Amino acid sequence: MNIRPARVEDLMGMQACNLQNLPENYTMKYYLYHAMTWPSLSYVAEDESGRIVGYILAKMEEEREGNEPLHGHVTSISVLRSYRRLGLAKKLMVQSQESMATIYRAAYVSLHVRKSNRAALSLYKDTLGFTVKNIEKKYYADGEDAYAMELPLQP
Amino acid sequence: MAPSKRALPSKEAAIFKEILTQYEMRQLKKAIKNADLILKKFPEHGETLAMKGLCLTQSGKKDEGIELVKRGVRLDLMSHIVWHVYGLIHREDKNYEEALKSYTQALRFDRDNINILRDSAHLQTHLRAFDQLVDTRTSLIRLRPAVRHHWIGLAVAHHLNGNPIEAHKVLEHYESTLKNVPDYDVEHSETLLYHVRVLEDIGDLPSALSLLDINAKLRTIVDRTAIMESRARLLSGMKDPEAAHAWQALIEKNPDCTDYYRGFLASKGVHLDAPTPTARTQGLDILRSFAEQLPRATAPRRLALSLAEGAEFKSLLTPYLHAGLIKGIPSIFADLKSLYGDSEKRSIVQAVAEEFLAACTPPGSEAANSATQSVERDPSAYLWTLYFLAQHHSHRHRVPTSAPRFTTAPLIPTSRPIKAPRLLNSSEEDSSSSPGASSSATTTEAFAATSTFTAPASKRHSGVTAPLNLPEAISLLTTALTHTPTLPELHVLRSRVLKRAGDPIRAAAAVEEARRLDGQDRYLNWRSGIYALRTAGLEGLHDGPAAATQVWSFGLGLGHHSASGAGGAHTNGVNGTEPKAAGLPAKDADAIATRSREGAAQIEDAVRLLGMFTKKDPNNPIHPAADLEDMQSMLFLTEEAAAELRTGRVSMALKRYLTIDKVFGEIVDDQYDFHGYSLRKFTINIYLNLLKWEDQLRSHPAYVIAALQASRIYVAVHDNPAVLTAAAASVRLSDAEKKARKKAKKAAQKVQDDKKPAAGADDVVTDNGPTKDEDPDGLKALGAPDGLERAAKLLQPLQTYASSNVDVWIVVYDVAVRRKKYLQAVQALNRAKALDEHHPELHVRLVDLKQRVSNLPQSPPAPIGPLLTSSLEALFPADLTPEALNAQYLQQRSGSAPAAFAAARVLHKLGASREEVEGLVFATLQHVEGQATEPLDVKFALTVLGFLNGIGSARADEYREACAQRFELSTIFKTSKEISALKQRIKEEGLSEPGEALAEAEVTVP
Repeated sequence: MNIRPARVEDLMGMQACNLQNLPENYTMKYYLYHAMTWPSLSYVAEDESGRIVGYILAKMEEEREGNEPLHGHVTSISVLRSYRRLGLAKKLMVQSQESMATIYRAAYVSLHVRKSNRAALSLYKDTLGFTVKNIEKKYYADGEDAYAMELPLQP
Repeated sequence: MAPSKRALPSKEAAIFKEILTQYEMRQLKKAIKNADLILKKFPEHGETLAMKGLCLTQSGKKDEGIELVKRGVRLDLMSHIVWHVYGLIHREDKNYEEALKSYTQALRFDRDNINILRDSAHLQTHLRAFDQLVDTRTSLIRLRPAVRHHWIGLAVAHHLNGNPIEAHKVLEHYESTLKNVPDYDVEHSETLLYHVRVLEDIGDLPSALSLLDINAKLRTIVDRTAIMESRARLLSGMKDPEAAHAWQALIEKNPDCTDYYRGFLASKGVHLDAPTPTARTQGLDILRSFAEQLPRATAPRRLALSLAEGAEFKSLLTPYLHAGLIKGIPSIFADLKSLYGDSEKRSIVQAVAEEFLAACTPPGSEAANSATQSVERDPSAYLWTLYFLAQHHSHRHRVPTSAPRFTTAPLIPTSRPIKAPRLLNSSEEDSSSSPGASSSATTTEAFAATSTFTAPASKRHSGVTAPLNLPEAISLLTTALTHTPTLPELHVLRSRVLKRAGDPIRAAAAVEEARRLDGQDRYLNWRSGIYALRTAGLEGLHDGPAAATQVWSFGLGLGHHSASGAGGAHTNGVNGTEPKAAGLPAKDADAIATRSREGAAQIEDAVRLLGMFTKKDPNNPIHPAADLEDMQSMLFLTEEAAAELRTGRVSMALKRYLTIDKVFGEIVDDQYDFHGYSLRKFTINIYLNLLKWEDQLRSHPAYVIAALQASRIYVAVHDNPAVLTAAAASVRLSDAEKKARKKAKKAAQKVQDDKKPAAGADDVVTDNGPTKDEDPDGLKALGAPDGLERAAKLLQPLQTYASSNVDVWIVVYDVAVRRKKYLQAVQALNRAKALDEHHPELHVRLVDLKQRVSNLPQSPPAPIGPLLTSSLEALFPADLTPEALNAQYLQQRSGSAPAAFAAARVLHKLGASREEVEGLVFATLQHVEGQATEPLDVKFALTVLGFLNGIGSARADEYREACAQRFELSTIFKTSKEISALKQRIKEEGLSEPGEALAEAEVTVP
């Protein structure tokens, strides 16, 4: 499996991968917006045939209050079920985090996860070291709450 | 209009200014009121009319608004405002050419208007009018030199216009004027990285490298990955020995990126794809040392497997495969199967896996080998090994075609073979199909009765491929499922094997079992939903009037044939016979409608299943299909279209294919906003990649499928108007449906009415909801008189961006020849011939062209006529009759089922007797897997059967039964009754036994 920075021509593969894995989906414009704004934060995992089997779509949080430090945010991360157990999510996350820290000097990275998504919660918590900061009520369109999670980054 | 008439008294002039502000603030209602105030006194004031029109178009009164704008323009042709407004309206309509014309007009009257200049620049970029863009950007610099991104814009304009040297000069000047750039300025960093790229494009790699190094050291470029990648790329390009170090640094930073290893190896003279013997040894040494340094990285170990051979391959493979199986990595087979092009490696993989299986088979089970005790018996490893071997036996290796894969950033300046992008990204099952062939696993199967066979040229000439052993795969899975019935992966694989065996019904049932084991997993939900879609419309595939109308000409050269199929009434369109009247006997229409209704209900069930994971917004409920369309799911759209087609709902299928085209149009439009945005963000490198990518966007496999299928449908309806009649019958509403639709309409109206009185919300822009679908069942599109022109338009991008796909040229021919564009038709066949001169579809087209040309009442006038004659002679030897050519083709391609079928179709075109044609069609059955170079497979057999049905052959049923026997695990060749009964039984009882299919077919597994 090849882990590398995402390129424009990967975005449709990322979109397809996201649709297969997660209930939160986005139109191409949103992927383009990420790529055109933070071109170095998103990564992909591709298989031998060049297919996108995992991705991390990431950005910098632009709204901050007062002196709050800059931080990165994971818009979406997922790996096709048939490509799990390879540690791809972690590898993708590590590369993206390093770029957040070196390029934008992000102090930490945040993400949201559905309260009911125990598998993802355990990935973020146990494998990637995130902690739950708070619960955002009715964060999702269907009314489900989200855990807001964070992980500090090394400068 | 004289300016005097434009000038308003001071009171009205003030109001007009207010209108402009209100428009900017989106206070449209207020603006319209104000406009009315002016118009009361000056009803012919062009600028006010235009502004009012503009506001109206954005308040849901588009038509009325456009009328006013047009009037405004007519009344004041010299006003920049009216032209600007007119341009905005065109732009809103995505009519970029007209918009640019209006802007250009506006600039004639106000040449220094910044807003208009800026918008023009965006339009010029969008339309790739780069020379004009340079002028516009130059004007902007002249007017506003202090705006930083204006300089970048000028550099980009020069660069796009093919003048990187000028771009470099602009950037140099710009950088020299900068003062006090703050530390860690990402925008400046991006600008410098862009400058490096400009120098690289000029070919001045040393300057690029020195600019990069200086600014990396100064920390003015902050993107470390970009610095390191650019460095490695530049040094490699300069053949600098330092390159190896640069790649090594990247490997240490990200040891899972195979590109970096390839770069490193290339810098040492080792090219992975065509290594010399010494390079092979050297490469393996290098990879071994990386593997030792980086114990957690799989990339060097996997790359070594590509390089190693024989005993060394085995010694490297063994620990790699064992580790994967012990860890239970589901993708280990997907990871290794690209090695299967080498049959020795394939055998070694099988041997290693089988040895391991023997070693970890639990004691007590029959298969346990008492001789192996040393390996720890690990039940998980045992399961995953069974899983692995089942994949191994059900995998047909296909050599990838050489369709170029688009990439904007060739990281490594070596000749890495480029692969076509994956088709649908659906699942690994599809990745074995050739992306170059339209007969992709996903669609053709659904389309099997109609689509034409295409195997990649490379495969076609490479001799006998390793045969599938589907019974063995099922037997392995049966063992695994008996051991552990709760592992979803096993059920998924079982469904895939069943699908390959031609049993879509059990395949759907099997994957549904996987889904039930993990209802939270959308991936499993997708698999189940898609497989359910593939069972829609299987009833009636081979019998009844529906079956006959299902057989398109589809470039099969069938000519016109009776829609009813009864009696096999058949005329040959090629010989100039007028098409039959498009009438359809009432009972046939009823049968089509009934079948279509059942199919539609099956499709709806599948879509509902997918709907478990689509958007759920209680305030704004949306049908799952609509959400998947909104989310631009190519997988869904292509699969749904195929299902529609299978159920005989041709117009609905066409509608879906056209939706795919529409989505690609949206993505092309998406770039518009970034023409301004990316300059302001200074993210130029990626923006330039965006422009390139957008230019060739329609090379995407989903677009290729959609354009080819839609074109085939247009061709079919052109050849046989009964297709349209049948399609109309297929979407005919039953009385109950009519009632339900009326009711829904009323309910929707009520919701609208309830929403209306939003008191006080004065200036909220009223959105009049989604625009009404003007063609809900696709019949308008299907019946369009200019269908062939529409097809030609859809095919246009493929001729540039999918030109290595034979199917593209075959369909281009089919459309062109019917549009009487003979030179284009000949040209298409020349292109096809250059790609694969023995392609069966090409053979049929050669005879088709010959016939059409000889039947022309007179040769086209010079220069076309003589050119056509000489081109045709180059393709088709003048001294050969079509009959002789056909016999020759058949002889040359004696081991090929597709060739026999092509020859049969040609015989049919040439008016041979039914018996003769059928005899040749039945010859396809002789081409058995494992013996023939191109054996008959399930998909292809369906196509053949469709042809027999289409010509009204009395032996169609005999062929069907022969296929049912040949493909012992298949159900797709069963009669409608049998299929319904099977579906019903599985619905009630489920798949009782993991090996049910085997037991029923009484297949003995060796």
